[in-house]
Amino acid sequence: MTSFDDISEMFRSEFDKLTNLLNSTNIDSNLSPHEIVEIYYQIMNMSSMNVMLKQQLDSDDQKSLLDDIVETEKLISEKFNHTMHPQILEKLTQSIQDVTRNLQSSSSGQKSKEDIENEAKQYEELREKMSTKEFVEQYDKGLSDD
Amino acid sequence: MIKEIAQNLVELKKEFTKVYDGKSQIQEVIPILKSEKFPIDDLDALHDFAKNNPIYYNSYEKIIYDVSCMVYEGDINKYWLNSIQYGSSRAPFSPTWILSAYISSLYVKSLGYKQVIDIGSGDGRIAYCAKILGLDSYSIEIDNMLVDLQNSISKSVNVNFNPNCSDAITFDYSTFDLSNPVFFIGGLAQMGGVALATGILENIESNDVKKNTGMVLAGTISQKYTPDPMNHAGWGTLIDKFALDVIDTVILPAVWTFRETDDTHYIFTKFPK
Repeated sequence: MTSFDDISEMFRSEFDKLTNLLNSTNIDSNLSPHEIVEIYYQIMNMSSMNVMLKQQLDSDDQKSLLDDIVETEKLISEKFNHTMHPQILEKLTQSIQDVTRNLQSSSSGQKSKEDIENEAKQYEELREKMSTKEFVEQYDKGLSDD
Repeated sequence: MIKEIAQNLVELKKEFTKVYDGKSQIQEVIPILKSEKFPIDDLDALHDFAKNNPIYYNSYEKIIYDVSCMVYEGDINKYWLNSIQYGSSRAPFSPTWILSAYISSLYVKSLGYKQVIDIGSGDGRIAYCAKILGLDSYSIEIDNMLVDLQNSISKSVNVNFNPNCSDAITFDYSTFDLSNPVFFIGGLAQMGGVALATGILENIESNDVKKNTGMVLAGTISQKYTPDPMNHAGWGTLIDKFALDVIDTVILPAVWTFRETDDTHYIFTKFPK
């Protein structure tokens, strides 16, 4: 059976991962779909852990962990849900619009095999961004439903 | 014989997947000459369709599976972009192989159908194949950019396969001269095909010609999709709901199965007499 110490250690390790991830993320840079998914995965991981642990913690000697959980919830709510998440969604939306516009304006005249295959890479990036946006929107829907 | 040709095409595609080293978004092959594996008289007409179709930007000869073939490389990204921008399509354009379109048309001809109605017809390849096989063909496509493409191909190859820009679900099929028609439903069951087929089936429910009507449904058994509890490659529930009789299933390659182990299941069905 997992001891309370093991649980605390696991929680703090995941919390450190989250704070490092949030602190090292520069929203103004173009985050790759992989980076975006990694952040949301860690947020969802911590949120699930918070819910599960809160149901299990009840004694005073577990108070310090309970405090950490409250602190984590605050971090997720204030720093992520209200600040970073809307910015990520907005930047993704803008980026999709830009790439779409760029591809639409691409001349429909004669193109070489290389031109077509290079352009196909941009279409692949667009698909990847659109699917990342769908994932982020699902998270957003979860926030609205709360 | 037709099912043997279909099996040979599946084997040809398997070999092609192994040897293809290009970078194109879509690719397919058509044998150059009639052979024991592909005893087809209309190969030149199939090459005509590919050569006059602007989605293909490159072609070259290659021997695959001991068959001398023409490889066609293409790109359909702009049609995908158009469909998502305007929300006009129920499923983005992703065609079957031209030779698959031909084999499935040949099969419905062998079943005695006289008219082919290609629903969600994309570039119109099924309607085209039906036409060169001597069937009356009608092509229904909701995306105007794809209908423009069909018209341009139709003009270039000088074969009128009747492109129509319309919503197939609300289309009035009594305007066609139908006696023994078969509907090909574009789109996998798992990619909007069920909704499309349901709309068509409800549309023709009260049509007198219904008892002589066939439906060809394209599905997959890929584990990427939740299986239909009643099987038939995603179509089991719909087949049961509309009490369709399953005639046969023919497996054929399509653009979307190029990197997949399992090719597309074409389920040939009909209304009970």
